[in-house]
Amino acid sequence: MRSVWRFFSSVRLAIVLIILITLASIVGTLIPQGRGAAQYAARYGGLAGPLAALQLTNLYRSGWYLALLLLLAVNILVCTVSRLGPKRRRAFGPAPGTEAEAVAAMRPGARLRLPHPLAAAKDRIVAELEGQRYRLAESAKDGKIRILARKRRLGWFGSDIVHLGLLVIIAGGVASGLLGRRADLALIEGRTAAVPHASFAVRLDAFETEYYPGGAVKDWKSTVTVVEGGAPVLTRVVEVNHPLTYRGVSFYQQRYGWDWSGARLVLELRTPGGQAPGRTISLKAGETVEVGSTDVTRIAVRRFVPDFVIGDGNRVQSRSNAPDNPAALVEAWKGEERVFAGWVFAKFPDFGQGHGAGPGGKPGEGPGGSKLSVALKDYAAAPFSVLEAASDPGANLIWLGCALVMAGLFLAFYWPPREIRVVLEEAAGRVELAAGGHAPKSREAFRSEFEAIIETIRRPA
Amino acid sequence: MTESTLFTIAFALYAAALAVYFASLFARREGRAGAGLALAVLGLCAHTAALVLRTVASGHAPFTNMYESLSFLSWAIVLALVIFGRRPRASRLGPYLMLIVVALVALASSPLMPKDAMPLVPALQSYWLWLHVSVTLLGEAFFAVAFVASLLYLAADTDEKRERFDALAYRAVAVGFPLFTLGGLVFGMVWAYRAWGRYWGWDPKEVWSLITWFVFALYLHTRIVMGWKGRRSAWIAIAGFLAALFTYFGVNYLLAGLHSYI
Repeated sequence: MRSVWRFFSSVRLAIVLIILITLASIVGTLIPQGRGAAQYAARYGGLAGPLAALQLTNLYRSGWYLALLLLLAVNILVCTVSRLGPKRRRAFGPAPGTEAEAVAAMRPGARLRLPHPLAAAKDRIVAELEGQRYRLAESAKDGKIRILARKRRLGWFGSDIVHLGLLVIIAGGVASGLLGRRADLALIEGRTAAVPHASFAVRLDAFETEYYPGGAVKDWKSTVTVVEGGAPVLTRVVEVNHPLTYRGVSFYQQRYGWDWSGARLVLELRTPGGQAPGRTISLKAGETVEVGSTDVTRIAVRRFVPDFVIGDGNRVQSRSNAPDNPAALVEAWKGEERVFAGWVFAKFPDFGQGHGAGPGGKPGEGPGGSKLSVALKDYAAAPFSVLEAASDPGANLIWLGCALVMAGLFLAFYWPPREIRVVLEEAAGRVELAAGGHAPKSREAFRSEFEAIIETIRRPA
Repeated sequence: MTESTLFTIAFALYAAALAVYFASLFARREGRAGAGLALAVLGLCAHTAALVLRTVASGHAPFTNMYESLSFLSWAIVLALVIFGRRPRASRLGPYLMLIVVALVALASSPLMPKDAMPLVPALQSYWLWLHVSVTLLGEAFFAVAFVASLLYLAADTDEKRERFDALAYRAVAVGFPLFTLGGLVFGMVWAYRAWGRYWGWDPKEVWSLITWFVFALYLHTRIVMGWKGRRSAWIAIAGFLAALFTYFGVNYLLAGLHSYI
């Protein structure tokens, strides 16, 4: 047990662990994390297997990385606790019975004779040290008076407070990992979704995207109502950087998009020689409607994609969910005869018509040369907003830990503790004074303060 | 005067400061280093005015793209130089820090860096942009001071100089480390929590901030607890600054992540 304690109380261990964690963290930034197996196979070939086996592809959540962090946490704890006792004595403990020789040998140190009686000399020294904001502890024994003067005593504990803060942060991380919950809620305007692991639901009242004059996105705003027990409780606008928090669950604007599966489309049909504008037809993607005209009796939208692109294997895909290149696969019949089949594009009306004419049985060609043209005039879909519902009981520990770390850093760097010891002894009607000081973190500044104090005491009253 | 005129004036003054500094270095006239510092202060004034004008014109903090943040980082390094380099004991910092500043300003002025102020994307519309970026870059500026002091330590020829540069590097870390911790890690976590709903997500920029922090933690521990000083300390401080530089630059260009704004 003792050897385990000694192992963990070593700063060398801390240094080794810091180096190991640093190297591992660097590796984790060089290998993309948390991707699919196929991506690693494509990128690393035969190395993909070993990388996954060593958990290098999910490094920051791997057992061995977390074990290193845990070892560091234990190391910090043991190091801090084992050094706390001596520090506490140094800062708050009683004055040690140091001899005059040892005190005068401190650096800085001084020896002088004062032409006062013992009590008067003591009062003078006490007044001077208290004037410099030192806290004093006195003891008298064997005709000697010992004074221990200390200030900025919390400064001894700067590093310990930083370490405590780090432990609190690690505890917060563990709490977040074990107790934190997050779920994406995809909400279409007007719909309500239950919040997982909570007793309430949220309704998306409205979603809007604001643009700058130049066209760049300025903001996404989801107007959200919290519904509890069937009744609305509060309504807030959730935007990026402005989450809504209710009963420990925070809602963040995460993503947005449109539900294109039921897209409402407007098509315009024109026959050769027909007048412009042609006839418009409203229908939903996937729907077939009767038109009842002499040239076209029936029309159907087989498929709709918001962002048309030809992907792998010449298959039509949507590059994104945004309506950057909306296209509909349209078929039209005149009786049993198919008079149109092909993709029509909202942004490229002429391109789609190229498929409307031509010889052979290709799509878009009407047998008999009936040149029907179809244009995608309008498209609309219900916007949805993805809100992330997150509850993270570890977060408050993180903030507490951060505050401790910053307070500790301030104390460690800018609150250097100082200590002055004085031994007074009466000899032959005069007072022999020995004084010594200790301020390992501010030697230069302390030396001048010490010398000024000694000089004041030496001067005749 | 427009922002770009003021920026050019600042650039010219920094270049003049650099020339005067090196002239005094080679002529071994310590007195002229004071003129270098004076020019640097004038440049800092013009640069400050340029940053203020840009902020007023764009309506947001002047560090939302690479040009702006390079400009701000070089501003912060000059500020650190003025704070640290005033003392005659630290006058040697001037020439080399100014060399870094002029290199950064030249990079910012290069045609590679788009200079137009773009409207802020939603994720950056927060006062945490001010707090997070400015405090982090200030911390990194003091790491630059520690870097130069450490290089000077390695090149020093007398024990007196070595002791001086070692102490200087430590003092710069003593300022830079708390600033970097506060701005880079603490404010970064708070903002990430507000914007993305999590305070830490192992994004490459986050990890590299942590790596930088670890290197300087190593610097402090080896120094304070194990008594490492001088050579080894200097090398750790140099590694720390390079890690900070990679966090700032390298991650954007070499590693993909959420911090891809600049």
